[in-house]
Amino acid sequence: MKSQNSKNFGELPKDEQQWIEDYLNETISQEDFEALEERMRTSPELRACLRSYLSLDHSLRMTAEENAEAASNSATAPWLSAVGDETSSAPVFPIWPTALAACIAFIFGLMLMKVNEPKTSEVAQKQESKQKAHAKGFAAINQLNDAQWAQGSPGFRRGDTLSSETITLESGMAEIQFFSGAVMTLKGPSEITLQSAWEATCLDGNIRMRVPPAARGFKLNTDSSQIIDLGTEFGLQVRDGESNVEVFEGEIAVTHEGEDQGVLEEGHALGMKTDGPAAVTALGSIAYPTSMSSSAAISKSRDGFAQWQAYREYLREDSRLLAYYTFEDGNDRGLTPSLTTPRNSDLDGAIILAEPVAGRWSGLKPALEFRRPGARVRVNIPGEFQAFTFASWVRIDGLNHEYSAFFMGDGYENGEPHWQIRNDGKVMLSVMVHQDLPHPRHPESRFHHVYLSPQIWDISMSGQWIHLAATMDPEKREVCHYLNGEQVSKETITDEFFVEKFRIGNGEIGNWGQPFRKDPSFAIRNLNGRMDEMAIFKAALSAGEIQNLYHASATEEH
Amino acid sequence: MAEVKQDSELNDDRYEAFVRLFTQYERDIWRFIRSLVPNSTDTDDVLQQSAIVLWRKFEQFDTSTNFMKWACVVARYEALAYRRKIARDRLVFSEDILSLIADEGIEELEVRTAEKDALTLCLGKLNGRQRKFLTLAYTSGIKTKDLAEEAGSTAAAFYMKLKRLRHQLQACIEKNLNHSPSSEAS
Repeated sequence: MKSQNSKNFGELPKDEQQWIEDYLNETISQEDFEALEERMRTSPELRACLRSYLSLDHSLRMTAEENAEAASNSATAPWLSAVGDETSSAPVFPIWPTALAACIAFIFGLMLMKVNEPKTSEVAQKQESKQKAHAKGFAAINQLNDAQWAQGSPGFRRGDTLSSETITLESGMAEIQFFSGAVMTLKGPSEITLQSAWEATCLDGNIRMRVPPAARGFKLNTDSSQIIDLGTEFGLQVRDGESNVEVFEGEIAVTHEGEDQGVLEEGHALGMKTDGPAAVTALGSIAYPTSMSSSAAISKSRDGFAQWQAYREYLREDSRLLAYYTFEDGNDRGLTPSLTTPRNSDLDGAIILAEPVAGRWSGLKPALEFRRPGARVRVNIPGEFQAFTFASWVRIDGLNHEYSAFFMGDGYENGEPHWQIRNDGKVMLSVMVHQDLPHPRHPESRFHHVYLSPQIWDISMSGQWIHLAATMDPEKREVCHYLNGEQVSKETITDEFFVEKFRIGNGEIGNWGQPFRKDPSFAIRNLNGRMDEMAIFKAALSAGEIQNLYHASATEEH
Repeated sequence: MAEVKQDSELNDDRYEAFVRLFTQYERDIWRFIRSLVPNSTDTDDVLQQSAIVLWRKFEQFDTSTNFMKWACVVARYEALAYRRKIARDRLVFSEDILSLIADEGIEELEVRTAEKDALTLCLGKLNGRQRKFLTLAYTSGIKTKDLAEEAGSTAAAFYMKLKRLRHQLQACIEKNLNHSPSSEAS
């Protein structure tokens, strides 16, 4: 079968072998590549070996992926089977899943759907580089309470990542979590420069530092002094160049204006003037901020929660609601009730692998996390309707997959919606127009249409709670996307993509139950993040109503 | 509209026939394209473009002939077109070499199938630990590129091991192909 003059890979000169290897790994240098090309021009053996070796790589990848999948489904995956049964007749190379044949009609269409979108790989690359740019922070905003930022300075929100920068808090309170483990509570007015996860400078202001043993050695500077934390909790105030420090617990090492380093123990306070020596001062003369997880912050948060509860009770009476999940009760039974009125337990969602975690009101109400690839909430929402709205509070931690699901109808059949976000941060609301017809312009794809929002998310928003909504309004011929109550896009529904009747039936929150294709980049769509609530209406809410939804359900810091 | 409806049934049949064939050969076409372009992402792109063209030209395809071969001829042109787009800043084979690889590759499709079968046998000769390693190496999402470039000894060792296993399998496949009765018969 092989041509007479064919050579085995191992018979190639060593340099040629290495070039093929490097070419495969994309590590080949320009110089070697040119040499490889030159040699290939005259060597059919080299060309044949290159084809064969690249093909082997492809086969290995295919086999590995199938085995990994099989391993996750059963304990008897061929590659993972016990050593010693190699002589058994168990097939090592698994047959392609027959399910693949079953969804034959979808596969091609879906692939084309991907083509019609801007080049995904490019988008992914851009997103990746952007992520790298944003992910360099070493601290994050942990808590905020009535925080006002100085005019002209950038404002911060809870979850924002911080790097080397100066933060000017005019009034209110903020808590910064350094990635070393140290926590800084600031009371406005305060001006702080962050240097690293291990060092910051207080230019002015009133702060409390809490430093766990793991962050021992954290350095806090002022104009005239340096405090090295030895694992403790202490307060520091800097006003007009004069610093005061008080140790509440543990001890700190203080160096002031070239004096020898001294250790200040628990229950002691020190005053340091710019041009004078450090002197012991009375305890309690300065009101340092209290840690924000204490009383005031919690009572404030309780107020916000009570407001949200009132909103929830109001909302659940809305007769346009198809289903409403807040993930509060029943997590232990693997069920999340739909709060619609009258109560209909058929609408309850089944929680699969999604985990109850802290929500927007830590300690008061859980949210669901869909971090695990299999995580989902399965629902069945019967009926037909003429319009719909999705509204949800979500916290996206990362867009790791090409698509991340909010809500997906199982089969994507006529009139079924998909609501998800693409890895370029654009929200997609799509609907199947004609499941049995090819797309008019892309006949290979099924006849659906995607309504895309502008980019509303990037990695700098990781960990932030946001309110998202999307409305489908055939009467007004509009599809709108909303972020935090604001309309971010409005697209006309053309005759071509006009759909009269919508339905959901079986569907999933946070994942997609029946992907048409099995390759991971397509099939894995679990939302890497959390969801606090999800409301689905059988009507298109107006822009004003969406804004109200947002304001009525927002917490303080949103 | 009436015209569209008349056509639609015919269209449906044709569409189904196409999807069936394309699905059957998708991975082999992918494998063919992979030999022409620098990496898997490029391969995906060319495959997608080829799929569109194949569907457009499907009317011209004689179903009694070899779909795979026909698809590869189309993919060859798409790879050449793609090459012109990316050639400026990428290490991609020049047109003459790409054409050579493609033309010889089209004549070699049976060899690829034989290699796949041989690989099944060869994988069976590996021990469980080696197979587990391969599964891991190919599914962990780690790019060999990153491993090969990483100076750390663990990464280097990992990469060397992968390379050794690939060479071992390649040798095993070649041995099988060179000595298999079917190759002597043909």
